[in-house]
Amino acid sequence: MSPIPPTIALRPLAPPHLRIAVRGFSVLSRPPPAYPHHVPLTTPERILLGAGSAIVSLINPRRADMIATCGETTATPYFIYRLRDAMLSDPVGRRILKDRPRITSKSLNLEKMRAMRDGTVGREYVRWLDREGVSPDTRTQVRYIDDPECAYVMQRYRECHDFYHALTGLPVVREGEVALKAFEFCNTLIPMTGLSMFAAVTLKKDEKKRIWDTYFPWAIRNGLQSKEVINIYWEEELETDVVALRERLGIEMPPDMRQTRAAARKAKKKTEKTAPPA
Amino acid sequence: MPPNHLLRLTALRRLNSTSLRLSQRSYATTPFPEQDIYDVVIVGGGPAGLSLASALRSSSVTNKLKVALIEGQDLGPQKPYKPKPGTFSNRVSSLTPGSVRFLENIGAWKHIQEERVQDYHGMKVWDGVSNAKIIFSSDLLPTAPTIAYMCENLNLVSSLLSRLDELGSTEILDKARVEGIEYGQDDGELDLTSWPVVTVSSGRKLAARLLVGADGANSPVRTFAGIETRGWDYGRHGVVATLRIEDVEQRKQAYQRFLPTGPVALLPLPGDFATMVWSTTPQYAAKLKSLSPTDFAAMANAAFRLSHVDLKYILENMTSGLAEEVSWRESATPRDPALTPTHIVDVQAGSVASFPLKMRHADSYISERIALIGDAAHSVHPLAGQGLNQGIGDVQSLVRTLEHAVQHGQDVGSLLSLEPYYSEQYLKNHMLMGVVDKLHMLYGTTSPPVVAVRSLGLSAVNALDGLKSFIMGRAAGR
Repeated sequence: MSPIPPTIALRPLAPPHLRIAVRGFSVLSRPPPAYPHHVPLTTPERILLGAGSAIVSLINPRRADMIATCGETTATPYFIYRLRDAMLSDPVGRRILKDRPRITSKSLNLEKMRAMRDGTVGREYVRWLDREGVSPDTRTQVRYIDDPECAYVMQRYRECHDFYHALTGLPVVREGEVALKAFEFCNTLIPMTGLSMFAAVTLKKDEKKRIWDTYFPWAIRNGLQSKEVINIYWEEELETDVVALRERLGIEMPPDMRQTRAAARKAKKKTEKTAPPA
Repeated sequence: MPPNHLLRLTALRRLNSTSLRLSQRSYATTPFPEQDIYDVVIVGGGPAGLSLASALRSSSVTNKLKVALIEGQDLGPQKPYKPKPGTFSNRVSSLTPGSVRFLENIGAWKHIQEERVQDYHGMKVWDGVSNAKIIFSSDLLPTAPTIAYMCENLNLVSSLLSRLDELGSTEILDKARVEGIEYGQDDGELDLTSWPVVTVSSGRKLAARLLVGADGANSPVRTFAGIETRGWDYGRHGVVATLRIEDVEQRKQAYQRFLPTGPVALLPLPGDFATMVWSTTPQYAAKLKSLSPTDFAAMANAAFRLSHVDLKYILENMTSGLAEEVSWRESATPRDPALTPTHIVDVQAGSVASFPLKMRHADSYISERIALIGDAAHSVHPLAGQGLNQGIGDVQSLVRTLEHAVQHGQDVGSLLSLEPYYSEQYLKNHMLMGVVDKLHMLYGTTSPPVVAVRSLGLSAVNALDGLKSFIMGRAAGR
């Protein structure tokens, strides 16, 4: 029997980042990173990291790095691929995947956006950034997703999160984040956003009531019925009218959370004044 | 040729019973000419019909039978198969070693142009959604180093015609369309009332002791016999094309990828050629046929490399720039290097064609003085490359049956003689068609639980070398 000739060697090998998805490995033979910051994980590592980061995120939601890790480790299998396929099925989504734009304070011209007309996406986004006191640079790099294209999809989702805040008007307080995560789960199906809905148990009693009565129903209804928000090319929509964009996507505005919270605080102070503490 | 004594025996036997009633009987005006009475009339000059004729004439038992073959197309240009050099016909079939052994036994294989036949030794089949794979290699079965042979249909037909020429004594009526089939008449001397009589376009009538329908899926012989077929259309078209590839392997492999819309297969031909069969929806088939050669070659590569989501988007939404889009997506889609076939460079002009896919099985392969072989009896999905091999299996079985009948002095056209052919072939064919149909159904969905289960099953079978060599042995026709 003649030896099998090296037919595979004759064919040009796929570059490393395209081969990683099909090979299993052990901790002793970790493959090289497929993109900057990439850390390939084995399945037990992923499970442990996912569970641990989920617990820490629940205890301390200010740990953005833990929330990011939880999102990345629970996104495979299936969920991040589904989101990537949703982008591939849409013409704008495909352009985003081809161009791979990044949202940072350097890539967005904030001064120019401040000068835009009121009611445009750009102006409302900067207004929201100023109101909440955040900047676009606070997003961690994706590390634990093996496929480079899916890693970009996760990064894009993370960087667009602030735009979703501006789109829905929800503030950065815990209540607002939980409501927005519920909306994102129904729209993008990323598991971490679904897990974040459990953070509702850590809310105060009246916040919990508002979430349960108003914001969760709003989030579920709108998340399911609106178009995929991952397919919005934000860099091109900066001069669009926000109301027109919401209509195009099929999103209705929830009640203004900051106003509702302020009114509730005022009412509470009033009742405390009239009924002196015992 | 001297009249066959067996021929007259059956017809004349009735003379005793009719002679008493001579005065009451009405005769046919002219007696049926003896030179137009045949033992076997084969309708259809495709591979099945020609194989049957060659086999009957090569067998020492049946070569005394008077055989005629009727074919509607002109067989003259097909006899010396002289294709343009550097081109391959897009109608290519995969012949199992069992089929090739049969063709060698009947003396037809020596006439084939071997340099246009490609044997392959490996087969890689994988799931286009989950990338679960099964790899058949001829190393698993040292007794059968070749999995199958890719042979152009025209090459095969030409070799069979050459063999028939060599053997002689077969009446081949080409350019003769079947105008009608009816039962004969009793002319007082010969009672042909149970004999089918075929009228051809030239006006000539042939009476057949046994009429064999090898006339394809819409068989007029089957219609005449009143045999129904059962089955369904797949709602899919098979797009075929002859392609030029980049890297030529020393040990040629066949590749098949199951996409949700249907499987796409790349089968090797001699040199740097390959043939592709892509079963897909009629809309995608029409789109593929309308593409420029560059875009078509890009889509042929895409079929084996891109995700089904990508293919769906490109085929439904893009009309130009497909090659660039495919090139971009190839750089971003992970793939298993062991499974990816070599890059497809070009498509042969005029070789892109499509045909509808269906499954049909005739209720019976036989009737009084009628037998059906090949596509007239059954149509199968091409995903397993078994259609032509099933037809050759039919021919082998029918020849054995007729040999037995002749050796035992039976009337070759009677149901009693033909029954063994039907019982030997029917269940075998039915099971194969059933398995192929269920494979098509199983791989036609993207539903995650089904994908998970079928991928697990495929990977499990891939790990069992014993099972794989068993499957290969059965498929090779041992």
